[in-house]
Amino acid sequence: MIKEFEGKTEQEAIAIAMDALQLDLDEFDVEILDTGKRGLFKKSNVRIRVYLHNENQTDSDTEDVSNIGEYEQNVIDFVTTLLSKMGYPGFVKINFQTDNKLGLEIVSDHSAIIIGKKGKNLDAIQLIVNVYAGQLNSGVKVIIDSENYRLRHEEQLVKLAIRTGEQVRRNGHSKLLDPMNPFERRLIHTALNDMEGVRTKSEGEGLFKQVRISIDDELPPLRKE
Amino acid sequence: MEKDLVEYIAKSLVDQPDEVLVHLIEGEQSTIVELKVAPDDVGKVIGKQGRIANAVRVILSASAAKSGKHVQLEILD
Repeated sequence: MIKEFEGKTEQEAIAIAMDALQLDLDEFDVEILDTGKRGLFKKSNVRIRVYLHNENQTDSDTEDVSNIGEYEQNVIDFVTTLLSKMGYPGFVKINFQTDNKLGLEIVSDHSAIIIGKKGKNLDAIQLIVNVYAGQLNSGVKVIIDSENYRLRHEEQLVKLAIRTGEQVRRNGHSKLLDPMNPFERRLIHTALNDMEGVRTKSEGEGLFKQVRISIDDELPPLRKE
Repeated sequence: MEKDLVEYIAKSLVDQPDEVLVHLIEGEQSTIVELKVAPDDVGKVIGKQGRIANAVRVILSASAAKSGKHVQLEILD
């Protein structure tokens, strides 16, 4: 597949091409058709021609389906079987993929129960899947989502952090949040990191600690978290 | 149903899937699922601080929520 792009400079043309094709630089070859240097003052656009290495990667909708590796297929099959054995059949697709993460999306009529209260069931499924997937490839963390729950939940937590932070700053009373896992607590800490006048600290033992939001009385903390 | 589910999960986590045994004790309102695995694999189905066992329990109760029955998982050793 061959496509042509234009830009003020060579770099800009390549950037436009990468953006339009949703590809990285190493996924295509670039040939410069017109350097744009006509004269001292008359600069026209640089034209480039782009050659794609992999034909089926151009269509971003089919990208995921067309090159699922053995490992990914294995994990997807495991989740699919697990769901059907739970009695909540659904189908599983790849949401995103990086070097050390594999994001899976469960599409099912039963997503409410698959997610569970506060994502409890989703977390349990994710844990079991990670133990299983760890046997195949220990370098990859599998993230399981359904109905975009994780993103919605993250936004909710950040909102909660900011709302509570403002409340604490207003009335001066510290507030203890519900127990959360490390990932959730991190979101709270980061969300309030930039807020003036409040500080956050985790309390408790074990995996599920509680974050306390209190007013910053200008004293340096004894121990940094 | 519950038996199948626990068996499937356990077999995919252990080193010796042939040694996995699941036994159901059905009561009127609740079911007890007994899971037995090879001695070397017990840690694999329990996990650090019981994390895996608890995840299996959560999955099990989510699955049983449909029938309204209470399901308990016991790991024998």
